[in-house]
Amino acid sequence: MTLQLGHYLALSMVLFTIGSVGFLVRRNALISLMSIELMLNAVNLTLVAANRWQPAMTEGGSGLVGGTPAVAVGSIAPHGQVFAFFVIAVAAAEAAVGLAIVLSFYRLRKTVRTDAADMLRG
Amino acid sequence: MLLLSPILVLAVGGLIVMLIDAFQEQEGGLAMPTALLHFVAAAAALALWQRGVPSDAGSLVHGWLAIDKTTLFLQATIALGGAFASLLAGGYLAEHKLDRGEYYPLIAFSTAGAGLLVAANDMLMVFVALETMSLGVYAMTGFRRTSARSAEAALKYFLLGSFAAALLLMGAALLYTVTGHTDFPGIAAALQAPSPASGAAADDANAAVLAAQFAIKLKISIFAMLLVLVAMAFKVGAVPFHMWTPDAYEGAPTSTTAYMSVVVKAAAFGALLRVFLTVFGDAANASISGGWPAVLSVLAVLTMSVGNLVALTQTSVKRMLAYSSVAHAGYLLLGVVAAPHATAGIAAKSSVLFYLLGYTVSNAGAMGALILAGRRGAETVSYDDLAGYARRHPAAGFALTLFLLSLTGVPPTVGFFGKFYIIRATLDAGYTNLAIIALINSAVSAYYYLGVLVKMYMREPAPGATRAAPMKSFYVVFSLIVAGVLVVWMGLMPERWLSLAAEASGARPAAAAPAEGANNGGAPTPL
Repeated sequence: MTLQLGHYLALSMVLFTIGSVGFLVRRNALISLMSIELMLNAVNLTLVAANRWQPAMTEGGSGLVGGTPAVAVGSIAPHGQVFAFFVIAVAAAEAAVGLAIVLSFYRLRKTVRTDAADMLRG
Repeated sequence: MLLLSPILVLAVGGLIVMLIDAFQEQEGGLAMPTALLHFVAAAAALALWQRGVPSDAGSLVHGWLAIDKTTLFLQATIALGGAFASLLAGGYLAEHKLDRGEYYPLIAFSTAGAGLLVAANDMLMVFVALETMSLGVYAMTGFRRTSARSAEAALKYFLLGSFAAALLLMGAALLYTVTGHTDFPGIAAALQAPSPASGAAADDANAAVLAAQFAIKLKISIFAMLLVLVAMAFKVGAVPFHMWTPDAYEGAPTSTTAYMSVVVKAAAFGALLRVFLTVFGDAANASISGGWPAVLSVLAVLTMSVGNLVALTQTSVKRMLAYSSVAHAGYLLLGVVAAPHATAGIAAKSSVLFYLLGYTVSNAGAMGALILAGRRGAETVSYDDLAGYARRHPAAGFALTLFLLSLTGVPPTVGFFGKFYIIRATLDAGYTNLAIIALINSAVSAYYYLGVLVKMYMREPAPGATRAAPMKSFYVVFSLIVAGVLVVWMGLMPERWLSLAAEASGARPAAAAPAEGANNGGAPTPL
């Protein structure tokens, strides 16, 4: 058996689900940040795999199961790959701002638990 | 290059403001340059509007951005909101000993991101612009570093904002998977067309396989649409994705609250309109019975009702304004629901644009009046703080009254006509139930807005309580005067402004709607 686009999509969906469930149930701000990173990596995997299988998906090929990746990487427009680079770069900027906010919260409250963030409510 | 000038002015100007801050001797004094920058950006958008936008303007940037009158209208609105926020920051930050220079470049960069967001014509552009805007606003929210409330607001806003961005990205990635496009017209074309080879397919078996594959692709695209919709609902603060809104608005410095409630909201609605009208604007996706308008109409009803009902129970004016901004997002969503309608669609879209402009001046004014009422160490937050305020300080009290009346929707303020046009468009599109719910909500909202007026005019502060008195700030007074003039002017002559919004929505020639779609048809050239 060879790997098909469907396998990559399934894996990235699993990663995305783990990430979003982790974000929703964990109460540690750092774990939440990591969960978001996991979701972004699932996105990157989808983008890169979809780029490789793009002719199979869009030109009436066999789609999610079967089908072959593009023979040569240069033969298709690398939109998905480039998108992934943008995601990586922006995620780094986001992590920088996010960690600064977590740090500032920690300085004032001596904890990174999000359930300690309970001063604003109503 | 000229067509990009509203964005370029802000981006380059933000850098210059940052340099001025780095080299000047003492802190402060950056509010006016930053506000000027925003006024210049707004003027650039208006000048481009006057000059007329060539129909192939988007090809200047290879289709990454759509530069049309909708874009320019929203860019001008956003720049105006950013100018108000800069001026308010000049008063607020100085009064509360927060006046550090990095706030002003953050405003300029965020507004540049917002200006890109309303122009974005590609999923990648939407993501980059959204993050450019949001990262600055996260930092502005947590700007009061000694306050645990500010840090908490920033933390909540950041975590939910990043989560929403991840959902948006997954939607974009799945759309790319099934269509091979990230640009809006390309995705839309790939989702509408039956499989490209179906006409040429000689044997039925092959055609059946292709049809089955297209069905799978459509299913994935609908899931992707839901992800994008949830992400957008987070950004505009629609119930049930509004949890961050009241907390972020309340904990943030009030000038940031003003910025978030006008600029971020207008930009998010601009992106929402473009994504859903361009990418998912086909008959199946945009039908009220089973497409995204059905989902959005439920969200709109929830958003209006929950926003208004919870606002009733608030004791803090700032938090009340936060819930009121949630409720206003609900009214705006009604316009978006009606926007794909065949006949009433353009009127609905222009009512959304008009409402965004009116809401920008009304809400920036309300926030400004609230800022004006809070001196150092005595920031006005609760209803009780304002007791007797308007009787002691008639002018400052009148300012807050005017903007709250506009938010309520009392004529002759712009707020009345904003709601009027949205509800009329909803009725024209045939959604009578939604219009009735909006009217009921509007009546409910009067209770909590007028509650502030009752406190200000008819109550006396409790003995020993601090008495609210206006602070002295040229910046804040100036922005209140500008906002007040606009609120009344747009309320007295709404047709003029509405006709601008209608022109922005492409109403002028009768056959504008299909022609616009054709203009956007150019796919971006490969990288």
